[in-house]
Amino acid sequence: MTRYPPEPPGREEVVTILAKLGDRTPDDVTEQIGSLEVAWLISEVEQQYHVTLELSDETLAQMVTISGAVATLADLLSGVPDG
Amino acid sequence: MQHELLAGQPDDRCIWMGGPVPRGELADLVDAHQRLLESSGLRPGGTAALNLPPSLAYIATLLAAWRIGAQVSLLDHRLVPHEVDKALERLAPQVVVTAESATSSPMAGYARAAAHAAARSEGRPAATPHVLIQLSSGSTGPSKVIARTAADLIDELGRYAKLSEYPGSGERIVLLASIVHVLGLVGGLLHCLHAGTELVYPERLTADGIRAAVTASTEPTMVLGVPFHAELLITGGHPLPQLTRMVVAGELTRPWLPGAFRDRYGVPLGSMYGMTELGVIATDLSGQHAPAVAPAPGMSLRVADGELLVKMAASPYVGIVDETRWVDGWLRTKDAATMDPATGLVRILGRLDSQISIGGLKVDLTEVEQTLCALPEVESGVVAYDTEIEAYLVLQPGSTVSDVKSALAEQLAPYKRPRQIHVLESMPRTTTGKITRSRAALRAAASASPAAPS
Repeated sequence: MTRYPPEPPGREEVVTILAKLGDRTPDDVTEQIGSLEVAWLISEVEQQYHVTLELSDETLAQMVTISGAVATLADLLSGVPDG
Repeated sequence: MQHELLAGQPDDRCIWMGGPVPRGELADLVDAHQRLLESSGLRPGGTAALNLPPSLAYIATLLAAWRIGAQVSLLDHRLVPHEVDKALERLAPQVVVTAESATSSPMAGYARAAAHAAARSEGRPAATPHVLIQLSSGSTGPSKVIARTAADLIDELGRYAKLSEYPGSGERIVLLASIVHVLGLVGGLLHCLHAGTELVYPERLTADGIRAAVTASTEPTMVLGVPFHAELLITGGHPLPQLTRMVVAGELTRPWLPGAFRDRYGVPLGSMYGMTELGVIATDLSGQHAPAVAPAPGMSLRVADGELLVKMAASPYVGIVDETRWVDGWLRTKDAATMDPATGLVRILGRLDSQISIGGLKVDLTEVEQTLCALPEVESGVVAYDTEIEAYLVLQPGSTVSDVKSALAEQLAPYKRPRQIHVLESMPRTTTGKITRSRAALRAAASASPAAPS
């Protein structure tokens, strides 16, 4: 499995991904993330990284803010094997 | 209706949910769930409430309860216990079916669940001949109890059967909409069983998961969901030769989306308009009329004072009824619309009341606001919606935003909760002393208020 891009998404990348939902500008994206936005973010990250993210309700509950989502994605993607 | 839905060759694949489910296996499951319900005391003319996630157990329990001759209420599995208790008090079912053990990841397209049936001694038998009961938030007062008869559901199945572009025998529908609500229930589950169309559940509700469900078989395939799912699908991936069209409903489609979808997959993004009270009302399955829709076969529509009205022989409401919603054989949709007198095409413009749609799930802002303002932590408040649900409120002394969030989490399903809570020193008011709903005034008051305790 090839991982691309190689690094987990940072705050700016997460905001950019979220802004694509609803055709918004990054300035329109708020710190709080709704359930649809979380679903969008996970779907986009899975496509970009060619991975399937194993998520529990607890993991999802940590993704209700952008900061939480960035940290959670870093954890999830660091556990994905390369190659 | 029941016998017809399960009719067919036992080996015919009727559902795909993690694997093929032949009709014979579904019939056996319905038999087993019928025994479960009967052992809980459900009888012809009895009442049952289903509070299950989308699963084979849900489907088998629903069909079993109907075969017994019971009236079935559907409760969204995302409701919190407080909301379920209120619904049960209102509906008074004799049997409640919940998930005894359910495994589902948050992004899963369905759940694996075992049904648990419990008798309620305070439950009452059916007071009306309806077979299906659903609750809908009312813009004022208690939620509406919407009831449908078997004949009404059969009529709706007839409408789907007459839509030549809707999948039939030998085709597949990948279902992304919930079977707790009318689109997924009738347009997905019941239509597929009735028409011999395979109902396919994706393993995951992500773009990759939906595409995997489409490509898992070679038969012509339609995807049925809400506009959010179409937006997910246009973000990447490979061509889908099996895909004949995607059809969305539940909320307005952004104007650019049908064109973007066709550019991406070379097939139309169609749309449907419907209501819990009636099911499918108007369609544009090939996207040729977008953003307008044409009345479904047999449906009569008119626009009065800017509101869409639909002809309906009897009121769909039971119990406490808002008598202005169904008048002289016409149902007021509370949707603003225009109708082209030459073609009869209808364009839906949006709601005339406080109902909004979050990814196809209906939320009544009045319910959210009433719940918020009834909290002991809140002195006064207003709920507003632009692109997300926001609350502007004044806290009671000693209370915090965290207290409010915790209290709301106990009383409202997650999709109904405000995404943003703005604490104000005082609510802005109009010159007559009423709390204003002006977004500009509310935002200004929020900006002017010092940070509140979190």
